[in-house]
Formats: sequence, C-alpha cells, structure tokens
Amino acid sequence: MAFTSPNPIQIHRLPQYTYIDALRWLPQLSAFTRRILLATYDSDTSTPSIQILTFTPSQNPKSTPSLTHQSSLSTPSRITSLKIAPSPLNPSKPLIAASTFSGSLLFYSADLIDGSLNLEFSVPEKGLHLGAVSGIDVSDNGSECVSVENGRVDLVSIGEKWSVRRVFDSNGLVSYSTVKWASPVEFVTGGLGFGMHWWDQRKPGGPVVQFKGNWSRGTTSGIVHSVDIHRSRKHTCLAGGSSGTVFAWDIRWQQQPVIVSGAWAGGGPATSLSESEVWEVQYDSYKHSSNSGNVSSSKILPAMICSEDGILAVVEQDEEPVELLAEPCAINSFDIDKENPSVCQITVLLFFVLNFITFVPCEVLVFHFTN
Amino acid sequence: MPGVTSNSSDSTLSIVPHSSDSETPRVYPLRHHGLTPPLARVSISWARGNTLRVSLIQSEAVSGQQTGGEVVEVKLTNMKGGEITAAQWRRIAYGSVTPFALLQSRKNSMDSSHYSKDWWEHVMEYSREINSLLANSESSGNLVIEDPKALLKKEEEPTSLKAAWELMEIFYADKQSETYIPERLLDWLSDYDCLFSGTQPTAHAKLVDFQKELVTLQIIENDPKYWETMSSALAVGWLDIVVKLLHLHGSYQFDQLGNRETENGLVEAVAVLISQMPRMRPDIPLGKLGECYHTKPEFMKAWEKWRSQITKLDCSSFWLQCDHHQTREGLKNMLQIMLGNTSILSNVTYHWIELYISHFLYVRPFTVGLENMCNLAQKCMHLKPISNHHKLMGLIIGILEENIEVVLAECSRSFDPWMITHAIELLTAGSTQAEILIHEEQSKLGGISIEELQRLVYAQVLSSHAMTWNIAPIYLTSCMKQGMGLLENLLYGQPVQNHQVLLKSIEICRLNDLGIVSSNMMKIYGVHKWKHGQKGSAVFWLQQAQDEVRLNRIAKQLFDFVGKSVSDESFKQWEGLIELLGTESSTAGGLKFLNIYRDFKRSLLQVDGRTTTDVARKAVESLVSLMKNPSTPQRFWLPLLYDSLKLLNWRERPLLNVAQTHLLLNKLQELSIAKLRPDFINADLPLEALNSVRLALATNLGRAILEE
Repeated sequence: MAFTSPNPIQIHRLPQYTYIDALRWLPQLSAFTRRILLATYDSDTSTPSIQILTFTPSQNPKSTPSLTHQSSLSTPSRITSLKIAPSPLNPSKPLIAASTFSGSLLFYSADLIDGSLNLEFSVPEKGLHLGAVSGIDVSDNGSECVSVENGRVDLVSIGEKWSVRRVFDSNGLVSYSTVKWASPVEFVTGGLGFGMHWWDQRKPGGPVVQFKGNWSRGTTSGIVHSVDIHRSRKHTCLAGGSSGTVFAWDIRWQQQPVIVSGAWAGGGPATSLSESEVWEVQYDSYKHSSNSGNVSSSKILPAMICSEDGILAVVEQDEEPVELLAEPCAINSFDIDKENPSVCQITVLLFFVLNFITFVPCEVLVFHFTN
Repeated sequence: MPGVTSNSSDSTLSIVPHSSDSETPRVYPLRHHGLTPPLARVSISWARGNTLRVSLIQSEAVSGQQTGGEVVEVKLTNMKGGEITAAQWRRIAYGSVTPFALLQSRKNSMDSSHYSKDWWEHVMEYSREINSLLANSESSGNLVIEDPKALLKKEEEPTSLKAAWELMEIFYADKQSETYIPERLLDWLSDYDCLFSGTQPTAHAKLVDFQKELVTLQIIENDPKYWETMSSALAVGWLDIVVKLLHLHGSYQFDQLGNRETENGLVEAVAVLISQMPRMRPDIPLGKLGECYHTKPEFMKAWEKWRSQITKLDCSSFWLQCDHHQTREGLKNMLQIMLGNTSILSNVTYHWIELYISHFLYVRPFTVGLENMCNLAQKCMHLKPISNHHKLMGLIIGILEENIEVVLAECSRSFDPWMITHAIELLTAGSTQAEILIHEEQSKLGGISIEELQRLVYAQVLSSHAMTWNIAPIYLTSCMKQGMGLLENLLYGQPVQNHQVLLKSIEICRLNDLGIVSSNMMKIYGVHKWKHGQKGSAVFWLQQAQDEVRLNRIAKQLFDFVGKSVSDESFKQWEGLIELLGTESSTAGGLKFLNIYRDFKRSLLQVDGRTTTDVARKAVESLVSLMKNPSTPQRFWLPLLYDSLKLLNWRERPLLNVAQTHLLLNKLQELSIAKLRPDFINADLPLEALNSVRLALATNLGRAILEE
C-alpha cells in the first residue's frame, strides 16, 4: 500500500510567483507530456489569468520535476471554480469551465497537442449570475454545466448551440456553495448548515430531497464546501465542510448521514486530523480500502481531503485518518491525477498550498507516492 | 510622501513622488477610464499597504456629462529596487514562519529560568533553515566538463541579507565551530567579497577582471596582473584559485618544459606548498585546498613545519638559476605573503576585511577570543581606513566590539524588519548580556522589550499586505504585552465581506481563543449579507454568532416578505431557509415562528374533504400553538384564521373546544382594537374575511358548548 512503506512520499515544491486560485490536471494525451491547468492571479499587476503548464516528472528521485509555461489567457475576473470535462467529439480538446468572482462563466477548449487555449463561449457578468459564482460542474458527458450562486442554480447547455437556463431562484433565501453532477439529469448542491439538496431535472421546481446536518454540538453549524460522487455509487454524496467534517449522505437513507471524519464524530474511531474548513474532498482512487477482502457496498470509499489548517490527508470510514502533509498555511485545493497508469509506480498528485487570497509565492506541490 | 500630481500636455494624469534624496523621480501613471479634464478636485489618501487611493472628481463644467468621478489605486513600488524582489520577500516571509514558530514552542516548553546546554543546537537548526530560504534558488547544477581557464564558478548572485545572516550565525549561534571562527570568516569572505565590489576595489573584482583578459593573453607570466591577482587571492586564502592560476604558467607547456626546467620546478614547489597549507578547521570542502587539523597542538606543529619549508625554499639557490624575472619576483612575493610580511599583505589586499583575513592566515593563525579578534580588526582598519562605509562592515565591527546595540541598529537600519525580528533569536542565544538587553522591558518603549517591539513592527509590515496578513498572527501571538490587542485590531480591519477572508479570520480566532472577535465578525458579515438580499446566508451567520437581537430584528422584515409571498406554490422557496433554521428554538429567535408556520401549512395542505378528523385535529393543534406563541406576529393572525376556515367549519364535529375557541375569539378582539393604532398593517385579504372568521368561530363555539 502506498502510505505504509517507511519513506513513501516525496514532496517537490515548485514556487510560483503568482497567486493560484484553482488548479486541475488536464487529461493525458501521450505518456510523456502531462499538462496542468492553473487559474492564477498576479497581485502586483492585478491581472487574473488562466494558464496551461507542462509538467515534466523528475528523471530520478533526487531531482525536481519542472513546470514550463505553455499558454495563458487573461480572464475578466478571478476564478472561483475550475472544472474539466472531456469533449465528446474531439478527445484532444477537452472542455474547461471556469466561474468568476464577478459572476461570469467562461468556457475554453484546451488543445492538448500544442498546449493552447481557446475561448469557446462565455456568459457575461449579470447575464446569469449577479454575484460571485460559488460552484460549477460539468456533467461527465460534457453536455451540460451547472453553476450555483447565492440562491440561484443555472444550467448551460454545451455544444453546437449554447444556451442558458435558470433552474431555480430562491431569492436569496438559500445559499449554495458547491455543486456536483450525480448522473446526466441529477445533481447535488451543498451549502449552509451542512445542508444538501438533491435535484432532478425531470422534476423541476425545486430540490427533490433535502438534508440538513443536525449533529452539531450546541448551536454552531457549518458549511459544505465540496462534494464528490463516485461514478459507481451515484446515490452517495461525499461532502467536506467546516470543523474538519467529512460525511456521506445517501439519498436512499436520507436522514442518516455517515460521518467519516470531523469534530462531531465523537466516540467512534473516526477521529479528525483537522478542525478547520475542509476545502476539497475527492475520492482517492489510489488508496485501496484497508479491508479490501470484504468491501461491502455500504462502506464509504477512502477519500482525500485538504483543509484550511494545512492538512492533506486520506480519510476512511471507521479508520484512523492518514496524514500526508501538514503545512503552516492553508491548502485550498488539490487534484488527483486519475489517468496515471497503474504500471507506473509513481502516482502524481498536485495541489496548491495557499490560503485563498493571502499568498503570492504560492507553491505548486507535487507528490510522488512510490509503491 | 508628499505627492505632486502633474497634468502634462497629453492630458494623462500621474503621480510623481517628491523627495529630496532621489535623483530621478519616479512617475506613476494613473489608469483611469473615461475621465475628461478639467478635474474639480483630487484627493489622495493611504489605502492598504503601499497603495495610495486617489479620488478624482470631475468638474461640472464638462458639458453634456453628469458630475462624476473615479477612485483609482496606485501601487507604490520600492524606490530602491533592492536586491530582493517583493515576491521573493513573500517567499522568505512564508518560509520563515515554520522555523520561527517551532523555535518559539521549544522555548516555551523549556525551563524558562535558564536555557539548557544544547539550546544552541535548536537555534542552529533554526538558523540553517532560515539561511536556506535566503538562497535565491537551487543552483543550476555543475557542468560536467570544467573549463580549465574558469577561475570563478558561476553561482547565484549573493545577497547582503544572506551574508549578514551567516555572519551572525558564525558569531552567535554556531557554538560548535567557535574555535574555527577565522576559517569560517575566510569562507564567508570568499562567498561575499563580491558584495563589496560595488563600492570599492576588491580581490574578487580583480579576479573577475583578470578572468576576462585571460582568454586573450598569450604569455601569461609576462603580465604583471597575473602576479598581482595571484598575490591578492593568496592573501585572502583562495588557495584553489591560486594553484589553478599557477598551473597556467607558461613553463608547464610541453614545448617549453625542457629549457625552463628550474623555473617550472620553482612554480610547482610553490604550488605544492600552497596546497599543503595547514588549516585549523573541521573539514575541507571538496575542491578547496589545505591540510586540515582539528586540535591546536597538531596544527601548531604542522604550521611550524610548513613555515620552515617555506623559509627553506625562500633561501634556496635555485632562484639564481631562474632567468624569468617576473616569475622570480612574483613567486618570491608569494612566499613573503605566506611568511606573513605585513607590508606586502597590506599592499596586495584592498580593504580591511581582506587584510584582516590575511593576518589570520599568515600572521596570527592562533588568534582566539573576540577581544583579540577585535584588536586585530582595529589594527587592520588603521592600516586600511574605511573609505566607503558598507552596511556589512558596520555589522562586523559591531559584532567584534561585542556591542549589541550597534548590531541591532545596523540590522534595523540596513535591512528589512524581517531581518531583525528573526536575527534576535541568534543574538539572544549568543550571550546572556544580549539576552538581558533584548528581553528587558523598557519604559521608553512603552513597557515592552526590544524583542516585542521588533516583532510588532514586523507584524505591522506583514499585515499591510493582503497576501501576508494571515501570517502576522504568528508573530503577534508571540508578543506578551500588546500582541493580542493588535491581533484583534488586525482582525477587525479585515474586509469580512469577502467570504474566504471571513473564514480565515474565524480560523485565526479559533486558534487564539478570540471567540468574541469571531462572533462580532460573523455579525458584521451576517448584516452585510442581509443588506445584499442574501437572507439565508444572513440568518445562518447571525445564528452562528448567536445574535438574538439582530435575528429578531430581521425576523420582522422577513415576515413582511413571507406575508406577500407565502401562497402555497412559492412556499417551496422557504423550505430551504426553514430547514436551515433547524429545530432548536434557542438559535432561531423570532424566526422560530417560521418553523411552526411551515408545519401548520403542511398539515393544512393535507386536509381536504376526504381526510379523517385526526388529520384535521392535528392541523388545529398547530393552529392553536401558533396563536398561543407570543412570537407569532399580529399581522399573521387574521390570515392564519382565514386559511383555516375549513377547520373551523368541520362537518363531522367541532374541532376546537370551548377554551380554544375563546382564545381565538380573544385574539380576534385584540386585532380589532389594534386596528385603531396607526402602525397597524392590514392583511391582504378580502373585506369579508374578518366577518367570516368571526361567524365561523361563533358557530364553532356554539357546537362546542353543545358537545361539552
């Protein structure tokens, strides 16, 4: 297993001299070139931009991998959320969806062959969203993009004919902070009060199922910052939020969430490494469940989290969390390279360390997990 | 900084800083959009950090346009340019947080009355980590094929910041190599002599010049510069370079070896002697020359032997057979350097530090103790007076004179506040006297110590920049007296309307037990959200802050909104908010009403002609509890009763008993009295609503009395 060998992790720090708002791995086209996508903000010139960089892994364990700049496009405002979806027609040109602080939505196509970026479509400010877009997600088949703002849920149809449509407007009564597709017609939103809403486009007019985390101690509650849904288990939404909380909500068992990690998980073996905001949660495709002999379908798969207090860890239901990294400043995002072939003994992960708006020499960290 | 706004002929606005000492003023153009002169007023104020906020107000005279204006922010950049860019500074600032915090926590966990013996090891670890941060970046890697004529390795540009740090590490932190200080100074000078080149001639500059000429020289030994350069390099102990240069001597060439045999022998003898020089140091780095000795007796013995070999060579008869004048004189000169001839040493070195090093090497190799070192330094300064004061020289003099105040003053004068804040850890580890001075609370500093003052200053610098404010708390919390107060100030000064800044601030509050501050910030944020129409978010944050007063106040406004929109279809919108309110009444304040209201609405929806009496009775219970609840706003009374007419007129049997009916009638009565008050809000209902409710209640009362 990756984490138990005595010296398993190699960390390379690649300092960047602009602020990094978001980052993603781009799909792999050939075995030799890996590209990453960064949304950056240069505080000295106040210019936000979106960039493609080529990642060259280190040739031997001692040397540092390198990042070389490929292309960049300036954006009208800073990026709040960044997602990548494969393009059904042209696999070498994946679709990039980005949302901004000023409320616009931007859709680019990335050319994986020459590393260039091209703006395909954009929804201007106040065209759909009035304020900062808090979350965005593109469906697996790349045909639709859902975006959430304070109280508004919108859909953009992608393709030959671009169109936009409002799904719901709560007039500010409810706020959504993140969104994730579960199937081509269903998606889930997360927001205040550890609340989650399940939406089905076949049943318009509002959320189909609602959930609110009621486990809060005393009077404080929290926010869901990130949701992930495994392709093979679309009913289980894994959410990460305030107070180091990671919980799974199965819409078939609506009011019985499974708390994987967090300050609320008192008593059980699920202790928490972080007591702060969990900014991102993603199923960890590389960590195999510890008791893989009898993985029942009800058991929550292991997931990786990053937090405001600088923790990168793997959490698993009824297991001690595994801390991968503890940084002095916040880790705001990470992305797992899902396409790295298993024959290669190195798994590469990447994320940016920094507290959201408070760091210029952001570092891109690259991990090597050697088996 | 007084600013002069200039309005040049091409009508672009700009700010020109006006200061007496800068020769060339710097111009900051103002990037404004669509403002046409003339301007009625311009005002300038400080914004956050190094930014000026310039407000430009257009005059009314511009025809066809409304009076308008624009506010632009001008970022002032470092006038000096400096050897370290802003981005690098931030990297250093972030990188030094962990070592600093680790050292503080170690200090706190130790016995406060006295440091344990191995404290310096922790300080040394800290110093090494900081030092590694100060290096610009990783070196590009060594070339595989080495150019025989390359004297100086091309390395990163050294900075005086790193030089100053290493200097303090040598004298204060590194107790292990206390006996090797002269050798460590030698290494230090070989790394940083180039820093002095800017203001005065140095051995390094000489070497760089000669390196350029080297490629074009045909007969190297005929050039006086060859010998001068080698003498200088030898005097400051760059033995490897000297030997490399000696091997470039013409007599080594194959075609000349035959007729210059003696000459070549002499050159080789000197080269061998140089490379065998005894050195008292723990090790010799790869590529450097000399023979290393760890203990003083061994070193003294070797030193005497080496000197006698030099004297022997100096008196040798082979010199007479050497025909080449320059070689003979040059080599003889180098032997004199090695024998410690002070006048020659003074001639071949360029400033007092070089002379100082040469004295350590060849005249007084057994110097120990700061006092002796200081005396020697003063002698060298006397021989080579300081013509151009360099900041590093001031620092060295302060250190050698053991004058902590001078060291502190030099650090804060020449370097960023970062330097002194972090260097204080080295100074206090160096001596008890320094520790007392730095930790003593001084009334002229407002009762705080020098250490605290410097940390506060540094924290102020950090908090002035949006990218570094979040590391300022680390330094503030290490300040006993004023740290927490300033931390509160810093937190209150953050623009909390930004969600991420708010969450970061709450996190800082959590770590430092500042519950009141964080709940105040949540209140501010909640009210901000409310004003921007984000009701759900506002309710959430006010709930988090447990601010019942504000929750009650917004409840009133929220009910207005409910009153208009709460028809059966749009009630769906409210579901989310009511979910958010939760079931615990303590947190919801006046908003608790919404929760019961929703339950009532739900049960009412289930009631139709076919439902059983039980379902209807449930709805009635909700209605009664709503009417009993003091938080139910008066203006909802009539609509509630009107909505439940079908319950009041239930066919099978009366659903309300006598007492309940009385209660509702009383409420109705209260309502008709309240109608006379000026602040009464009329419900949006048909005119006959009141009458039909009254009739229904009266009928119900009659039926209920009969039943009882």
